[in-house]
Amino acid sequence: MASALSRVSASSSNVTKSFKIGNNKKAFTRKNRVGAFRSLPAAQLNLPIFQSTPPLPAPSFKPEVVTENTIGTVFAFDETKNDPIKHFGTPKSMLLEYRLLSQRYSVIRDITVITTEELEEAALEPSHQSNYVLTGPTGCGKSFVLLQAVQYCLAKEWVVIYIPRAKTLVNSTTMHTYDLRTRTYFQPKFAQQLLQRTLDVNSKVLETMTMREGVNFDRRSFPAGTTLAALAAGGAKEQAISSVAFETLIGELCAQSKIPILLAIDDFQALYTPKSSYRDPHFSAIRPYHLALPRILLELASGKRFFQRGAVLGALTTTDPKFPVTQELKEVLELPIGKPRSAYGRRSRVLEEYAEGCMNLPVPEQFSVKEAAAVFEMWMKDQALTAPANDEVFLSKYTESGGNPKAFVWQGILGTLEGASPEDVDESVPWPQLREGRVPLAL
Amino acid sequence: MLRSQVFAVLRRPLFYRFVSTTRSFIPPSQLNHVGESRPRRSGVQELDAALMQEIADEVEAEEEDLDEIDEKPKPHPESPSFYTGRASYYDNLIELQNAISSTRGTLKRLHLLPLPEFARKSLIPMPTVWKTPREMTVDFETTITISRYRKVIALLNELNEYLRIATTAGYEEIADKISGIVTIFESGKKDAILTRGIRKPIELDRCGRSYTSGRRKTSTARVWMIPVKESPQEEDVDVEEVFGLPQSQSKAPAVNVSVSTILINNFPIVEYFPQPVDRERLVRPLKIAGVLGKYNIFTLVRGGGTTGQSGAIAHGIAKGIFAHEPETGTVLRKAKLLRRDPRMVERKKTGLAKARKAYTWVKR
Repeated sequence: MASALSRVSASSSNVTKSFKIGNNKKAFTRKNRVGAFRSLPAAQLNLPIFQSTPPLPAPSFKPEVVTENTIGTVFAFDETKNDPIKHFGTPKSMLLEYRLLSQRYSVIRDITVITTEELEEAALEPSHQSNYVLTGPTGCGKSFVLLQAVQYCLAKEWVVIYIPRAKTLVNSTTMHTYDLRTRTYFQPKFAQQLLQRTLDVNSKVLETMTMREGVNFDRRSFPAGTTLAALAAGGAKEQAISSVAFETLIGELCAQSKIPILLAIDDFQALYTPKSSYRDPHFSAIRPYHLALPRILLELASGKRFFQRGAVLGALTTTDPKFPVTQELKEVLELPIGKPRSAYGRRSRVLEEYAEGCMNLPVPEQFSVKEAAAVFEMWMKDQALTAPANDEVFLSKYTESGGNPKAFVWQGILGTLEGASPEDVDESVPWPQLREGRVPLAL
Repeated sequence: MLRSQVFAVLRRPLFYRFVSTTRSFIPPSQLNHVGESRPRRSGVQELDAALMQEIADEVEAEEEDLDEIDEKPKPHPESPSFYTGRASYYDNLIELQNAISSTRGTLKRLHLLPLPEFARKSLIPMPTVWKTPREMTVDFETTITISRYRKVIALLNELNEYLRIATTAGYEEIADKISGIVTIFESGKKDAILTRGIRKPIELDRCGRSYTSGRRKTSTARVWMIPVKESPQEEDVDVEEVFGLPQSQSKAPAVNVSVSTILINNFPIVEYFPQPVDRERLVRPLKIAGVLGKYNIFTLVRGGGTTGQSGAIAHGIAKGIFAHEPETGTVLRKAKLLRRDPRMVERKKTGLAKARKAYTWVKR
């Protein structure tokens, strides 16, 4: 298995390769455009620096593993058939990180234990009592905690619907059409993809659940008793009925009380943006609650609609200036208000209503020393740094980042130029750059 | 020579009667002839027998008074040099000269004077700062001009030399006596002036905090450092271990390490310096001295940009570490962290576009 170092070096060569249009026709495909940190195939890595013994695989992440005793231990998400990371996807920074690592590692933190305890309670209660939102400063690990919650609930055989990038719902990157019946805007492609992904991840559980009422679409009909998996499959196959199929699926999930449901939304604040990037024929901005899909999510998040058993868990993203956390959300979640409010600033009553009922689940802004040490060891075993993995490097990186997880990993470990001190130094050579081998003695 | 000067020199005035100047002297024999020689002026009384008797009575009374004074001796002035007008100054000069001559005699008897060249070089340096002429003016109650000041200073320097010899030779009694005289003339700001330019040792306050300042380019940082107090570690109770049940998964090893918190203008380091370069520059003194995790740091920084501010804080941190642990001085000095980086922005010169950049050369 190639190490992190090989991945980083490979990425640059891959990028240059992909720009030779004559050779590579897929140069401008989406896969190659988001091409950072793509690894070369192992067969091409012949140099000795790439030869490394792969680290021992970390223990698998399981629900039994999340206890107070295991805080500060690293576990890995297994690549199963219904792997949510593969099917649903992850936020971009997490995706890049997992491309660098040899396994999909994750460290258990105290907030993980708290979240899983809340979800255990939520499994028996209707979801309007468990509308949580993970908050905290930039880079404190909200998306990771959300992913851990998703993996936990999936292992506990819940139905999990995970939307890793909710801003794609409101930034006008997917097709939208107006529906006269519901008087909202459908996003058929998004709904189609979402149904496909939900089916891929939850097929086993959805096969066991059946529809209470039959439903008739234009060309397709689903009589009562059809499995929800079949409904999802039908909606995923045909774009025309996807939006309504998703609406129906949600309705059926809300009606049943056998299996708990988790709705996990990252970029949660994007749903509360006052104006989405979509435009109507009069070129005025469409509000997020006038788009069918975000509307469903808003209703579930606010408690207007709820699952009989389950929870709605959101995670804020503080780094996107296009979709900042709005005043209404800040007030409900009791977050510190940045700029003083103007008396003339617009407030949306509708969004205020949709924000009601959201509860704050604060993620600590620092790794504890134990957690940071586990993360550091995990990266060092994957040979992220050529520097020796000693106390000095660890403590200096921890102090520089102040314990902030993102800064610790990206700017501390991956972003530093520290390396191993040169071995076999010949002290008699006069100049330091020659002595340390930076400049070759004989050209 | 003036009459007043003559009388000033003499101890006792000879003619008491003639000292008073309230009226002109008229010898008694001529009292009868006062009115004849003088031209008459309006308002002047004619001298007749009654007036003459009055005057004669007055003179007698004066004589009596003066006789009385003669019987009670006039008090001597406090100092013999009272009539120099600068008694204090001359007395002190005399005292210094006496001290010098007596010390010289003593040191000669002890074979410490004259001192050979090699011995003079090995004397303990005792730099002193004498009082300013203004301060001496206040002390001596007379204006100390430059020439008078120089006389005093010459004597004091000679005395100081004898003090050095006595201290080096180990004669404490002599040294104490001389220093008793010399300290009277030493400036109160002696310590401050002598330690100018020398790095003062930074003291920790009652809570054990150091307060240092650092500078780089146009930034100034004020740094407070306090050692981290380790709270007693709470032992994680492992239920499985306590009840003797088989352990299901590997427990994370305990990490017993204290950690530094750095606050800059009350912001955490991550928020204040987004660039890792600046953060590494800040933390470098702690790394080199090997005290990562030992101190909590609070700084206030002002002026300049990111590089200047981070460099100033690093300078302040290095000085703070040196204050807490002087043993780290060698290492920090080798790494040039205790040095205030003298590099500043170079000025723009006339005829050039910037400090070094020249305008495009045109052939014609």
